[in-house]
Order: sequence, then structure tokens, then C-alpha cells
Amino acid sequence: MRRRFGLQLNLRPPSGGMAQPVSCPMNDPYPSIILASLGLGLVAGVVMHRSDFCVTAMFRDFFLFRDAYMLRMLVLLVVGSMALFEVLRWTGLVATYPFPLLGSASLTNILGGMLFGVGMVLAGGCVVGTLYKMGSGSLLSALAFVGLLTGATLYGEIHPWWSTLARATAIFPGRITLPQLLGVDPLVVIGPAVVAGTALLLGWRRRGLLARPAFAEGYLPPWRAALILAVVGALSYVIIGMPIGITTAYSKMGAWVESLFAGQHLAQLAYFQAVPLDYTPPFSHTAVQGGPGPGLDAVAAIQYPLILGIVAGAAASALSLGELRLYWRVPVRQYVAVFLGGLILGLAARMVPSCNIWHLWGGLPILALQSLLFLFGLLPGTWLGSRLLVRFVTRA
Amino acid sequence: MAEVIEIDMRGRICPSCLLMTLKEVNEKATELRAGTIKLRVLASDRQATATIPEAVSNMGYGVEVKKRQGHYEVIISEPG
Repeated sequence: MRRRFGLQLNLRPPSGGMAQPVSCPMNDPYPSIILASLGLGLVAGVVMHRSDFCVTAMFRDFFLFRDAYMLRMLVLLVVGSMALFEVLRWTGLVATYPFPLLGSASLTNILGGMLFGVGMVLAGGCVVGTLYKMGSGSLLSALAFVGLLTGATLYGEIHPWWSTLARATAIFPGRITLPQLLGVDPLVVIGPAVVAGTALLLGWRRRGLLARPAFAEGYLPPWRAALILAVVGALSYVIIGMPIGITTAYSKMGAWVESLFAGQHLAQLAYFQAVPLDYTPPFSHTAVQGGPGPGLDAVAAIQYPLILGIVAGAAASALSLGELRLYWRVPVRQYVAVFLGGLILGLAARMVPSCNIWHLWGGLPILALQSLLFLFGLLPGTWLGSRLLVRFVTRA
Repeated sequence: MAEVIEIDMRGRICPSCLLMTLKEVNEKATELRAGTIKLRVLASDRQATATIPEAVSNMGYGVEVKKRQGHYEVIISEPG
């Protein structure tokens, strides 16, 4: 069951006494949402550029080189987020649990995850990796971004039958997280998972597996990046009401472009008329709504500044290090691969639904069933993408 | 004086830097070990400054990373 506290933050004292409601009324939630998203995006952009925190590399390099170093960083981020989100839930600092936009699981989450894995490897980065790499001057990532928008918009064409398939293959309807499925308090499952994850991480730390020499100027060790990004996700949950996610905005941008020359067709597509986001942000008592349509709504307020912040943060970081250079002499097949990869990635992000950042940094820490199934599909998808990359794109 | 073979991977899709470096290192292992050649990898990918040194030093080669104008240069030489 989702808990909604509206305009109140229930601060539960450590003694376990009665919750003390603290009213934080604010009529217009948009300024705080926009500023928070932009700020968090800037931080994420700088951090990801400095440490080259590439989620695609985490999975891809494991399959290609049996290198699990960056994958360990993902474990750190997930375990850190798990602990933070659970503290936020327990103290009542988050208004809605689970957070908005998470739905029931479906077998289509697995299929979407597989396609997502193929796409992100061919695109050379995931939906967020593409942003920070583009911000730091990668032309390939800029083209992958165009592919992403195209794919996320094309999804509107297949949405009716895909959503029918998703409904037909739904599992455990109405139960969003594993604790809900088991009918227990989240702490019963999350607590042991955090303890086991921490033990695993401490073991890796003792064996020196969480550190690796790097020689890039201004390098931020990935373990620090993982912890900072876990805090970024938690702050997003507290201030905006949900962890970070961006791909609905990709459909929205694409829909806006399409509306310029095919507005009539766009108006006939059910996907772009839907308004899946309808919630009351924290620190506000005004409900806001948003969806993938081209209008400036709550989705635009949350995700556009985040996207802008990540790109700008990475650009500022690269510029400050003198590394913002454009290299265009790249084999044509790599340009083709990143565009097609981006297209597949954008399409898959809507089919899953939602992206790897939303599921791995947001849903997985609360053991959302959708996110667990997405991960289950992502692994073989990334393996397949890695094989295709080596066979057709890098030709090493 | 060892001949320097340059591998320019700037701007390419990840993990081209590491893949191409490993390919060249394996193909030219005899000359590299004899010290008759060195490999100079040009990379715009910051992660390559960690992955390439780790991989080639595990194979026993000498490795050095230098920052150039907006990119990195990884020099791989005979075992030290």
C-alpha cells in the first residue's frame, strides 16, 4: 500500500513515540522542484564525469573482460541507497512509499530490460551516461542522444499493443515491492539485505577490490561517486518525491519535435495523451500532473532541469580540466552503431518502462519487482550487446 | 631506440581504447617484450587511464600515463 502524507512530514522520534506532524505548506511546488532538479543534475554531471561513472561499463566490462570493478561500485550505490531510502521511510521524511510512477511487475519488464541492455552497449552509454559523455564533448554520445529521443518517441506508435501485452503478462498485480509481495514490513527484507550487502562490501574493501589506480586529472574514485550519487538519489526522493529518472522527458522532447510537423498524428497517439504522473510533491499541498505529451507539465519540471544539469555539470567539469574537445574522426560504423543503439535504448526505456537509473538507483533499493525483473533482463541483453559491439562495431 | 606505434582512439566508442590496446599488445608481444617497439595510445576516455594501465601491467609490461592537450597518452613498453 502506498502511504500518502500530503503536506505533512511525519518525523518519528528515535524513541519510537508518536509521530509529530510538521506542516510545510507551499502552494507552488514548481520552483523548488525545478531548482532541486537542476542542482542535483549539476552535481551528478560533475561527479559522473570526474569518475567516468558509466553504468554501461559496469555490465559490459564484466562480460567482455571479466572486470567486475565498476559493477562493485553499482553494488555500493544500491546498498547505500537501500539504507538511505529505508531511513527516509522509517523517519517519515519521504511523502510516498513506494514512490510514484512505479507500477506492478510484468514479464514485459524482462523483455524491455534485454532490449535496453543491447541498446546501451551499442550506444556507448545508458540514458544518463549518454548525457554526461555528450556534455564532455563526445560527438558519438550526441548522436546517441538523437537516437534516444527518436526511440522514445517511436514508442508512442507501439504503445497500444505493448501495454496490452504488459497487462496480459502482469504478475502479482497491486504488489509493487518484494516486501509487499511477502506481506511484511519493508525493514524485514531491506534490513538483512543492507547487512549482507555491507558485509560483502567490507570484504571487497579488505581485499582492495574497491580501489584502482587511475591517472586522469581531477579523478574522483568511483566509490566516492557511488556514495555521492546515492545521496543525490535520496535528496531527490525527499525534495521532489521520487528518485531520479529521465526517459519520460525523452519522449516529451521527441513529441515536441514531432508536434511541429506531424501534430495531427501525434494527437491521435494514446501514449502522448496519457498523464501517468499525478502526485502531491513534498513541501506542497498542490497536486501536479505530467506525462510524455509535449506540454510543459510536472514531468518537464522534474526531468528537463535534471537533464540540463547533468549535461552542464559534465561540460563544466570537462572545461575546467581542459578536456572539452570534439573528436569527429571516428569510423562510420561507430556513428551508425550509436544512433541505432540510442534508438533501441530509447524505445526499450519506454517499453520496460523507465530507465536503468530509475530502476537500479531507485527501484532496486526498495526491491521493486519491476526493477528486479528489469535487472534480470538487462544482464543477458548487455551480454548480447557486448558480443555485437565486438563483432560489428569495434572490430578488435 | 624503440619504434613508437601510435593508436589514436580519441572520440571512439567505449571500450575501444582497451580493446584495441589489448589487440595490439597481443599481436606485437614479441617486439614489445624485446623492447624494439612501444605503443602510444591516445585516449579521450578518462576510464582508459585506469583500465589500460591495470590490464597491461598485469601482463607484465611497463606503462606510463601523461596528460596532453585535452587528452591522455598511455605509453606501453617492455617489461621493466
